[in-house]
Amino acid sequence: MLSEADLKQLDAVFSPRSIAVVGATATADKVGFNLVDSPLTSGFQGEIYPIHPKLNELLGLKVYPSLEAVGKPIDLAIIALNQYASVDAVETCGRLGVKGVIAIAGGYKEMGEEGEKLQARLVEAARRYGIKILGPNTLGMINTHVDLCSVFYPLKLARGDVSVLSQSGGVGLSLMHTAADEGLGLSKWIGVGNRGGLEFADLLQYLAYDSHTKVIGVFMEGTEDARSFVEVARRTVKHKPVVVYKVGKSEVAQYSALTHTGTIATPHKLAMDAFRQFGILPVSSLRELVAVCKALSLSDLPKGDNVGIHTHTAGPSIVIVDELAKRGCNIPPLQEATIQKVEDVIGENPPIILKNPMDVAGLGFVAEPFGRVTEAMLEDPAIDILVAVYCLHKNWRWPSQELIRAKQKHGKPIVACYISDIAGVKEDREPLRAAGIPVYITPEEAAYGAAGLVSYAKARQRGV
Amino acid sequence: MNVEQILAGAKDGFLLEPESKGILAQSGISTTACRVANTADEAVKLAEEIGYPVVLKALSPQIVHKSDVGGVHLDLNDASAVRQAYQRIKGATRVIDPEARATVQPMAAKGVEVIAGLTTNPQFGKVLMFGLGGIFTELLKDVSFRLVPIEELDAREMIGSIEGNGVLEGFRGGPAADVDAIVDILLKVSTLAESYPAIAELDLNPIIVYPRGAVVVDARIGVSRGRVETRSAPVRLPK
Repeated sequence: MLSEADLKQLDAVFSPRSIAVVGATATADKVGFNLVDSPLTSGFQGEIYPIHPKLNELLGLKVYPSLEAVGKPIDLAIIALNQYASVDAVETCGRLGVKGVIAIAGGYKEMGEEGEKLQARLVEAARRYGIKILGPNTLGMINTHVDLCSVFYPLKLARGDVSVLSQSGGVGLSLMHTAADEGLGLSKWIGVGNRGGLEFADLLQYLAYDSHTKVIGVFMEGTEDARSFVEVARRTVKHKPVVVYKVGKSEVAQYSALTHTGTIATPHKLAMDAFRQFGILPVSSLRELVAVCKALSLSDLPKGDNVGIHTHTAGPSIVIVDELAKRGCNIPPLQEATIQKVEDVIGENPPIILKNPMDVAGLGFVAEPFGRVTEAMLEDPAIDILVAVYCLHKNWRWPSQELIRAKQKHGKPIVACYISDIAGVKEDREPLRAAGIPVYITPEEAAYGAAGLVSYAKARQRGV
Repeated sequence: MNVEQILAGAKDGFLLEPESKGILAQSGISTTACRVANTADEAVKLAEEIGYPVVLKALSPQIVHKSDVGGVHLDLNDASAVRQAYQRIKGATRVIDPEARATVQPMAAKGVEVIAGLTTNPQFGKVLMFGLGGIFTELLKDVSFRLVPIEELDAREMIGSIEGNGVLEGFRGGPAADVDAIVDILLKVSTLAESYPAIAELDLNPIIVYPRGAVVVDARIGVSRGRVETRSAPVRLPK
């Protein structure tokens, strides 16, 4: 458990006013160059001190020959040296009172016994001086609220309130790009690496404390401190959801995880059951992780697990029902009064059976009556949350205004599925977002989002 | 003997069935009687006391999986069957442990067979497991896990979340099994595991569940006083 003082120190490390890049280079294909380019690309307004023994200037920044030569306080040092030199650099940081270090290099615990010893030296050096150390073997960290990207892939991400812990750089990048496509802003992205200093549980505790984080997404291969992680999660989920995508189901995957970050894997079912016991929401793909985080970021929670589906296209609603049922959602029948209201909208004796999912194919695709059907369904006391499913059409507009009005009027969450390409939903996404309605372009993701809201509501009600 | 005394006298490894059941009984978990016979004559005498039909099981610190070595004889209805079973156990275990003896136990009535277990996971610590007996657990791996300690709701969710839980509700006209009795056992195992750090493993297989009540028919408890390894044995290389 981290103390209040530790958490304050981590605030300074993750929202630094000054950063040093140790091992900066002028060659664009090197990590040391990109770690300098990265905060510039993201528009970081704090001080950036590149460190190199011979260079004078890099990307318009003054280069310092050593950490000592900076002569000003450094909140965060990003170390791009090899695994051996990194140990000495941490020592130097310690003497200079640097608050935190990101150790980028690999070649530690994931390499076996010798690497494990080297990692122990690195971590011990940090511990001796009270430095918080992220990594080693990490892509780095991003904090959009101070416009800082310190991963060696220069990026500028949209701001948001979803923070991410990732045990993989590549998967973490995939998550960032998927989130960007989904119009989902991030708050912090933290590559946990080998977790030599800051463990999953520590970082989770920090994100629980962080005021810029509303939802926490985790990509996990495995961790020795799983018990502490779930214990911290149990406290966290009382006020912020924790969504975990854990891999390592197959034996081959378990072996790969060991050589990747030096952690053996636990039986998959055991981990999933333990997560649920402690109120964590387990997901089984990257897209599901993003979809659930997006729903939890945007939408309020349903009162129960009863999902209504309104559509004009049967197939996608069947896909959605399947995915919802797998995730413990209920698809209840509608009340007679609701059916009556729908009949009032679409006329008597329609050539369709009126039920839940409500497929009003006969209407074609007309936004205004769709809005009235949506309202009738939301009014039904049997329905806690609505999934609204429509397909992109050249001549018919999305019923976004109607959905927003219905949500405002009835105060129940709505998840929209606009079957389209990204370009087809771009204009509608922002007003829907502002109204707290997540919109997805595939039926599976819409189901993931709705089920995520239901699961978190249940976990909260269960009171883990 | 109480639980402390049994554990104090035990080396690391598996306790014998009478000791394991002794610990369970001390914890308020119902088990079938398990009495030790040193000779065939003693076995017959115990069987007469218990009442037929009885079960004979091999008793030896060298034998963990009794049925694999021909060490379990069920449904014995008279003295000659008991005598013959005792001799067959002695014969089957001669090479493994010439000192092997047998326990005599009442033959439990038929019911729904379930399994409860405890393992110590290097990452999560003590973990409870629940499953249905036979192929449900062994072949289909239809089991659920929870970290110790559990609460009643956890126990109910553990039971409710397995795929084959319909079996407990009364399958093909059978009566419904007493789920409350299973919940009770799971909670008691959780408390036992939490109270005694030395209990690292536990296997109640099977537990027979009736319309009212449940009884542990076979049990073994693994004792380990060593610090739990944070890195278990290396992962097997994929072929």
